[in-house]
Amino acid sequence: MIVGEQKPLEEIKAKVSGYSRILILGCGTCVKTCFAGGEDEVATLASALRLSFKLEGRTIQIEEQTVERQCEDEFIKEAATNIAEVKAVVSLACGAGVQMVASRFPQVTLLPGVNTTFIGILEKAGLFTEKCLGCGNCIVDLFGGICPIGRCAKRLFHGPCGGSSKGKCEVNPDTDCAWQLIVDHAAATGQLDKLAEYVPPKDWRTSQAGGPRKVHREDHEI
Amino acid sequence: MVMEKVHRMSNKGGAAHTRKPRITVFHCFTALEDTASLEGGDYEIQGIKMPCSSISREVFLLRAFEAGADAVVVLVCPVNSCRYVQGNIRTEKRVTRVKKILDEIGIGGHRLNMFNIVQGDEAAARRIIEQTVAELGEWGLSAAA
Amino acid sequence: MSRGKLEQTLGEGKFAVTAEVGPPRGANAEVILKKAALLKGCVDAVNVTDNQTAIVRMSSISACAHLVQLGMEPVMQMVTRDRNRIALQSDIMGAYSLGIRNMLCLSGDHQTFGSEPGAMNVHDIDSVHLIHTVKTMRDEGRDMSGYELNVAPRMFIGAAENPFADPFEYRVIRLAKKVAAGVDFIQTQCVYDMARFKEWMKQARDRGLTEKVYILAGVTPLKSARMAKYMAAKVAGITIPEQMITRMEGVAKEHAAAEGIKICLETIQELREIPGLSGIHIMAIEWEEKVAEIVKAAGLFPRP
Ligand code: SF4
Ligand code: SF4
Repeated sequence: MIVGEQKPLEEIKAKVSGYSRILILGCGTCVKTCFAGGEDEVATLASALRLSFKLEGRTIQIEEQTVERQCEDEFIKEAATNIAEVKAVVSLACGAGVQMVASRFPQVTLLPGVNTTFIGILEKAGLFTEKCLGCGNCIVDLFGGICPIGRCAKRLFHGPCGGSSKGKCEVNPDTDCAWQLIVDHAAATGQLDKLAEYVPPKDWRTSQAGGPRKVHREDHEI
Repeated sequence: MVMEKVHRMSNKGGAAHTRKPRITVFHCFTALEDTASLEGGDYEIQGIKMPCSSISREVFLLRAFEAGADAVVVLVCPVNSCRYVQGNIRTEKRVTRVKKILDEIGIGGHRLNMFNIVQGDEAAARRIIEQTVAELGEWGLSAAA
Repeated sequence: MSRGKLEQTLGEGKFAVTAEVGPPRGANAEVILKKAALLKGCVDAVNVTDNQTAIVRMSSISACAHLVQLGMEPVMQMVTRDRNRIALQSDIMGAYSLGIRNMLCLSGDHQTFGSEPGAMNVHDIDSVHLIHTVKTMRDEGRDMSGYELNVAPRMFIGAAENPFADPFEYRVIRLAKKVAAGVDFIQTQCVYDMARFKEWMKQARDRGLTEKVYILAGVTPLKSARMAKYMAAKVAGITIPEQMITRMEGVAKEHAAAEGIKICLETIQELREIPGLSGIHIMAIEWEEKVAEIVKAAGLFPRP
């Protein structure tokens, strides 16, 4: 899923402070799962903003709505009525959802309330970790299912670097060294020698380096 | 914690309140049957009874302040004796998070507190309320109430 | 064009000595020339770091060119952190045209440790890809795209290896990978933990790698007990045995540097006895004046 984090209250407050009526629009898919922008977060943020304005003797009217997915037109259509009432929308979706709303409702000012962070997993309760960079041509099988593009700080195809220490990455001692994991996996499955093979440089055209990407499924076009 | 001190200083009332302090009490019905036994002092109590404290979403706690609470008290069962195993642990995490939000807003996280009480210990509940009222004397009423 | 001195020395089976200088944080070439002058005549080649520890400095390629003018032989370090395959290949050609004959292929220290922690990194290819690229350019006269080069840069190709980083059992496999990619010589991370180094060398010999690649062991004289403790604790991938730290602590402050040099000389003696080892690489950053002393005291002077 896409993992994101809600922006600090202070920052969101500064963004909305010129408006007397706003909509906080949540998204019920990825950002809900990572506690950044689901229904609960929308309600909490709205209440916190109201209280914060009240303390300063100001009022702000906040509409609250959470749609199933902000990255699909089908769902954000439902927000049209609420959006028509306001000048600004704080979107708690990922960057894709934010832009989807911005393009469908160009008359309204779109304010992102979430920092979209990575494609990752729920590793354990309360911990989300990055796994994939969306390179567009998956080669994770070469590394025993552990992706050095998404998980090695230097994207090494022939790691580990000299900084790998006690299983942790030199860049962040809280993070596993992807290459330690790759080697451990290969050792455990008797494939260390396969790992000695040279992996040629990657053709990055399939990645973001090739420009914005598209997946066109004509078979699904109606 | 620094923030908490700052708020204590800036909100320092000391003087008599202009109205009765209002305390909202969230409690699971195992920890405390209901809040009737807590009434009778120079304060107003708003009781919110729940089958398990963990159903108090973050926003409920904030809304209590929006609705005019000067302090919010959450009463839960002791650790390890939650009827739903981890309900009170979840509540504690939520309370911690809302305290942080209250600090950020400027209301002050010290106005929200969770206490573990043994089932039916009304005397303990009363002491908690009295202590909160006393503390409100120091903090003053909530400016957002 | 003739081979460089480093390649020649190693090719003749002689024990090689290299050292290292870091370019200045500024445009003053004097700094590099002064440091280099201290090394002249006592080493076979001088590594020039490439924005080491991700701190912005004068480029390695230009500092190397200054050394060439001085009649010295540089080893141009090149990291894959800052340049993509277009810039890397272009700089390799340019470097060769300036008389640079050796290079060291590295991935580079992570940018968050340096002077521009907010920088984007590149890592289009990694150090092993870079080795392979330089080799293809040299031996096949083609760039990565397969285009035939009018003059092939005939570089002597080096890489670094750290026998002290984890996972240990994999380190020698990684060395084999570099050898397969076409590396000619290896300079290692500084050796303090002799037991582990010997074990790594043994593994390299067992795999026949010392027949295919020249290995130069890194040494860095300790200046003080504080430095020893700091490196042991803070620098990822460096291990310093407890006895060595105790030994540094055991001498009076004013004698610590001398003790450090003494340890370094003992290390060099022990290294020279390791079968399959081809030389040493002395990393005495900001202590270049000691290199000549070490080389002489170690009996490695004059250079061939
Ligand atoms: S190889 Fe590419 S697609 Fe596959 S996990 Fe890694 S970044 Fe993602
Ligand atoms: S320590 Fe491991 S994960 Fe970190 S940069 Fe080096 S090889 Fe990559």
